[in-house]
Amino acid sequence: MRRTPTLRRWGVVLTAMLVVLAGCSSGDDDASGDPTSGDATGTEAETTAGTDDATEPADEGTGETETAAAGDGEPVELSVVWFEWAPAQLLEDFANQEYSKVNPNVTISMDAVPNPQWHDAIFTQFAARQTDFDIAILDSQWIGEAVEGGHVLDLTEFAAESINPDDYPQNLLSAYGQYPRAEDGLYDPAGNLYGLPALADSYVLVYRKDLIGEPPATWDEMIDKAAACQEENEGMYGLAFHGSGGSDEAAVMLNTQLWTHGGEIWDPQELQVEGILNSPENIEAATQLTDEMLPLTPPGFVGTAFISEVNAAMAQGQTCMGFNWVAGLEGLQTPEVSGALGETEEEILEKLGFARVPTDETEIVSLGGMGMSVSAYTENEQEVLDFLAWFQQPEVQVAWGAFGGVPAQTAALESDEFLSARPWNPAFVESVEDLKDFWNMPEYFRLLDIHNSEANAMLSGTQSAEDTLNNIASQQQEVMDEIREGGL
Amino acid sequence: MAQTTSVATSAEPSDEGPDFEPPPVARRSGRLTDRWIARLSVAPAMLFLVGLFLFPLLWAVVLSFSTYSATRNQPIEWVWFGNYVDVLTSDQVWERAITTLIFVVAAVGLQTLVGFGIAWLLSRQQRGRGALTVLLLLPMMLSPVVVGAFWKLMLDSQFGVVNRFLEAVGVGQVLWLTQPRLALFSLVVVDSWQWTPFIMVIALAGLTAVPDYLFEAAEIDRASEWFKFRHITLPLVWPLLLIAIMFRAIDAFRLFDIVYVVTGGGPGSSTETLSYHLYKIAFQNSDTAVASAYGILMVIVVTIATQFYVKYLTRVQAK
Repeated sequence: MRRTPTLRRWGVVLTAMLVVLAGCSSGDDDASGDPTSGDATGTEAETTAGTDDATEPADEGTGETETAAAGDGEPVELSVVWFEWAPAQLLEDFANQEYSKVNPNVTISMDAVPNPQWHDAIFTQFAARQTDFDIAILDSQWIGEAVEGGHVLDLTEFAAESINPDDYPQNLLSAYGQYPRAEDGLYDPAGNLYGLPALADSYVLVYRKDLIGEPPATWDEMIDKAAACQEENEGMYGLAFHGSGGSDEAAVMLNTQLWTHGGEIWDPQELQVEGILNSPENIEAATQLTDEMLPLTPPGFVGTAFISEVNAAMAQGQTCMGFNWVAGLEGLQTPEVSGALGETEEEILEKLGFARVPTDETEIVSLGGMGMSVSAYTENEQEVLDFLAWFQQPEVQVAWGAFGGVPAQTAALESDEFLSARPWNPAFVESVEDLKDFWNMPEYFRLLDIHNSEANAMLSGTQSAEDTLNNIASQQQEVMDEIREGGL
Repeated sequence: MAQTTSVATSAEPSDEGPDFEPPPVARRSGRLTDRWIARLSVAPAMLFLVGLFLFPLLWAVVLSFSTYSATRNQPIEWVWFGNYVDVLTSDQVWERAITTLIFVVAAVGLQTLVGFGIAWLLSRQQRGRGALTVLLLLPMMLSPVVVGAFWKLMLDSQFGVVNRFLEAVGVGQVLWLTQPRLALFSLVVVDSWQWTPFIMVIALAGLTAVPDYLFEAAEIDRASEWFKFRHITLPLVWPLLLIAIMFRAIDAFRLFDIVYVVTGGGPGSSTETLSYHLYKIAFQNSDTAVASAYGILMVIVVTIATQFYVKYLTRVQAK
C-alpha cells in the first residue's frame, strides 16, 4: 500500500527533473552551437562586409576617420574586461576622449577586475555562452583556450581589410592574436587572427642611477652591481623581482632566467619537457637565481612580490634594482608614488633609470602585453569592429603611445611622441625584437599551475633549483603525454 | 462544522431560535483537499531546493562520469569512474588532503580551546557580559575576503604591522607567508581570529544554561573548582560544544576564501586546501568533469565523517 504512492511521487519528481535537464541541455546545445561554428563564421562574413562600409581602410585613415555610424544611431556602450592596473584606466580614458571625436554615440566602459580574477571573469562567462562584455583583453597565452571553445570571433578577414600586418613587429602581432602560433613566434600570414594588440609589454630593469651608475649590460654584471650596492648602502637590498604564487608571476621570472642563459622550457614539436627544462644548463642557471640573486632581495619579499611590490620597493628606496613590466611602471616617476626619492618628477628621474633586461647567452626578454578579442556573444559586433579598426590606425597608435599606453606598431614605437611619453619607453623599444612568450595552448593553465607553483616554492626559498626543475619537468611531461595521446 | 456548532451554542438565545450567521467560508474546489494545500504550500521551497541544490548535485554526478569541459568546445565522452580513479590516485590530491586535515585539526582545536576558555571566563563575569560578547562576536560578522585582505597586509614580511611590532620588541622579522609551515600556521591564526567567537557563543549558551543548584550542591560538598568544571560544567556543555565543533570542522574542511586571499595556496602549493585545488581544476584548468568528481568525493567524505560524528554525539547525549 505504501510503496505505490512513494514510487509515484518519485516518478513525478524524476520526470520533472528530466524535463528540466532536457530543457537545460537543449538550451546549452543551442547556445554553444551558435557562436562556435556557424554564427562566428557567419558574422565574420557580415562583419567584413559591414566593415568595408563602416570603416575606412587603415592606410588611408587618420585618427579622426569617420565611420558610417558616426553621429547617428542609438548610443552604444562597449564593455571591455581587463584587470585592475594603470593601463586599464588609461585605455578607457584614451578611448572615450579620442574615439568620441570619431563616433560620439559610442562610449567605452572598462570592467577592471582584480588580477587573480581576470581569467575567471572572462571564462566563466564564456562557459555560460553569454557575456556582459563585448571585448575581452586576453593574456597572450589564453587565446588558444578561447579559440578552441569558440568564444571569440575569428578576425582574420576583418584584419585583412582593416590593418596592414607590416605595421607591426611580427612577434607582437603573432603573440597578441594568432592561434595556433607559428613555430618561430612571428606573424604567419597564412594563420588566423583572433585578437589585435591592445597593449605591448615586456620586462624592463629599473635601477638607481645615483647608486649604480650605468645600467648593467650583462646578467653577471647585474649581480655584481646589486651585491656591491647592497653592501655599500646599509638597509638597502640589491634586487627585487616577481615571484608570487599568483597567475604567471613566478613562472615569468624563472623563464627569463632560463631563456637569458640560453635554455628552453620545452620542445613544442615533440611536446617534450623532460630533459629540456631540467637540463644541466638550466639547473645551473636556476641555481644562480636561488643562490646568487635571491640573497640580494629583501627577506621574504620575492615569494609574494608582483608589480606593485617591486614598484614599492623601488619607490621607497628599499632596493637598488628591480625587474618589472613596462606597463606596470605607470606612476613610478611621480612624487605621489616615489615621494621618498624626490619632491618633483625631475628629482625622481635623477635617481631612477630604466634599461632593457641584461643579456647573457641570449638577448631574450619575457613578453608581456595582450590583445583585444571580440566576444562571440556580443550584441554590438559592428560597433566593436569599428572601434578595433579605429584603434589599430597608425595615427591612433601614436596617440595611444603619447597618452601613456604602450602601442604595438613599429612607427608608433619609434615615434618621438612615444619615446618621450614615459622614461621607460626607450628601454622597451630596445627589447621589442627579442621578446619571447611561452605556451599558447588550451592546456596552458594546467602547465602554468605546475610551473608557477614550483617556481614560487623555489623563489620563496623553500626548494632547490634542481628539485624545482625536476618537479616541473616530470609533471608537465605527464600533461604533454596526455596531449600527445589525445587525452585532453 | 464543529466550530460552527459550538459558536452557535454560545450565542445568545432568542425566542425565534438562533439568528447567528456563520462567517462566510472561502469557497474551495472539491479537488483542493488539505493534502493538496499542504503540497502547494511546500512546493516553492521544494522547487527552490531541487533547482538550486538537488539538480546541480545530480548534474555534477552526471558530469563527473564524462570528459565535459565548460569552456572547451569538444565532444563529450563517457569515462564512467575514470575521473574518480584519477582523483583518488592523484598524489597532488592526497597532498592537499593532508594539508586540509592539518588545517582542520589545528584550526578547530585552537578555536575550541580559546573559544571555550573565553566563554568560561565570560560566564563568570556578570557585569558587561552582553557588551563584551557583542564585541567579541564582531570578527564573525565580517566577510572572510575582507578578513583575509587585511591579515595579508598585516602579515606582510616587509611592510606588515605584525613584523613591525615584532621588530620593535626585538623578535625580528618573521616570514609569515613565505615559509610553508608558517604560512599554514598563519591561515590557522586568521581563521581562528574570525571563527573562535562562533565556538565561544555556543559554549557560552551552554555554560549559562547549567543549573545553579548543581554548583550550590557542589559548594556544600566543598568541591574544588576543577572538580566542578570536570564533573558539572564540561559534561553538560560538551554535547553543545560537539555540535559547534562539527559545524566548524565542516566549514574548515571546505576552506577556500582565506587561502585564496592570504596565501594563494603558496609558497608552492604548501597551503593549498582541497577546495582551493578543486577551484583551480574547475575554473583555471576548465576540467569541469574532473572537478565534478572531485567535488562529489568531498561531499561523500564530509557526509560519512558527519554520520560517524552524529552517532558519537547521540551516544554522548544519551549518557
